[in-house]
Amino acid sequence: MIEVKELNKLYSEGRGVRNLNFQVDAGKAFGFLGPNGAGKTTTIRLLMGFLKPDSGRVTINEIDCWKEKAEVKKIVSYLPGELHFMESLTALDFLDLIARMHGNKRQIKRNRDYLASALELDLKILIRKMSKGMKQKLGIIAALMLDKKVLIFDEPTSGLDPLMQKVFIDLILGEKKRGKTLFMSSHQFVEIDRTCEHVGIIREGELLTIQSISQLRDAEHQTFEIEVENEEELEFLKQRQLNLVNIQEKSCMIRITGEMDKLWLALTQVHVISFRQRSLELEEAFMDFYR
Amino acid sequence: MNRALFRAMFKQHRKKIAAISTGIFLYEGLLTWVYPVVAKNPAVAQVAESIPSAVKTVFGVPENARTDTFEAFISGQFFSRIWVMLMAFHGIQTANALLAKMIDDCSLALLLSTPVSRGEILSTQAGVLVSSGAVLVAVTIGGLFFGTSRFGIPINHGNYILLGILGLALFTLIELYSLFFSAWLIEEERAVTYAAGLTLLFYSLDIAGGLSDKYSWLRNLSLFRWFQPQSILEGTTNPIGSIIGLNACSAVLWYYAKKVFERQDLTI
Repeated sequence: MIEVKELNKLYSEGRGVRNLNFQVDAGKAFGFLGPNGAGKTTTIRLLMGFLKPDSGRVTINEIDCWKEKAEVKKIVSYLPGELHFMESLTALDFLDLIARMHGNKRQIKRNRDYLASALELDLKILIRKMSKGMKQKLGIIAALMLDKKVLIFDEPTSGLDPLMQKVFIDLILGEKKRGKTLFMSSHQFVEIDRTCEHVGIIREGELLTIQSISQLRDAEHQTFEIEVENEEELEFLKQRQLNLVNIQEKSCMIRITGEMDKLWLALTQVHVISFRQRSLELEEAFMDFYR
Repeated sequence: MNRALFRAMFKQHRKKIAAISTGIFLYEGLLTWVYPVVAKNPAVAQVAESIPSAVKTVFGVPENARTDTFEAFISGQFFSRIWVMLMAFHGIQTANALLAKMIDDCSLALLLSTPVSRGEILSTQAGVLVSSGAVLVAVTIGGLFFGTSRFGIPINHGNYILLGILGLALFTLIELYSLFFSAWLIEEERAVTYAAGLTLLFYSLDIAGGLSDKYSWLRNLSLFRWFQPQSILEGTTNPIGSIIGLNACSAVLWYYAKKVFERQDLTI
């Protein structure tokens, strides 16, 4: 459905994307992860036909995203990373405008009302009086109400509270069940973990890897931050054939894959000052690429 | 032209249009109210006659033109300078708000994510721009008709309508080069600087050219040379040629603005 081949786009200051290659099959969800300035938004702008590729090709459903930029929008819904609206309109006026620009189907209005109630957004409020979170909800409604085959979302949950992030993930899972193709950039590992089948990691404009979430799960590991009483005890842990990383004077991180017995056994023989599990497993796997 | 977008955009700018229209209407009301008093006072005409021609030029009154008619009065007090500057400022500011600002703050992204093409979106924005200018011109001419009729000042309505059409052609050209700069530079600050700079340059050339015979050729380089309200209102100049010339320039600028915008990289 989405195909990116040997795509290059460099800005004058040297940023951009280099030799990107990936594809997203119809009905599948692709998460796009990377630190700030890695090239996620540039890739999305190329998919949306806002930027002309220096070389390479971007197609959605075999429609060229640059040459046929208006045509491709017939099957695409988009949520930008930076949301700015026409501030003097109400949310309802704005959604009506977008619906009309998409052909004003009656179903769009029904979807709009359903989404507004799911995301608890009052559509009569003037946009300029809305908080960042409310504007994010409005952007999500504008994208999802259109019922397009392909969803392109740039950091869709930024600004949403945890409760609404969960509602958003449920909405996306619902869309997936209905066969939608999703391309989503994010900093939120949880939403990628829960919604996507594949994930691509981009850094400094280059795609480092594409992996399936299930592959990552098979290789998942857990990381613990441990502080012991003295250097001798740390030395003791080093000799226990544990995977110690980031070793400090009296503390270290221990990465465990599979059984935990060896760790517990070692810890019973030292004085543990502090013990903390580090972030989520997938996040930890991605962090390796980020660094 | 996309009708839904046109309505939404016009709605965004209608308060500003209403405010400027009210200002113009009230100012014209004031001028038509005081004119009968001024016209009856011979001292005023003597003062007007005694003003050096270079100073008259600064206020847009042509050399050797009459100073004792309503046409001379309304041209000097309003059409020649205040109206032109007000309309030019409105055109530059609105063109910028309709394109460069929307690119700069990324609010164009959601509109461009619809199946409406860039060309159609630009046509719609241009439509809003020209329509708002047309509304202001119509209010100006209509307001003057109302004021002159209310205070019993005889005028040739046809000449005023011709001036309105010429004004619309001139302001449309200013609006379109402002829109062109927005489409080309896609950055609010630079687009405004270029459009305002060019307008001020034309304005300065017009004034400098009128100050001395030695520099009169400078006026030929100015856009405002084609807009001489007093002679049009008095019926001594036929503006049809100027209207056609200005509209032809607008058409060329529109063609290039659309072409540039279609190919532009938009970091929105």
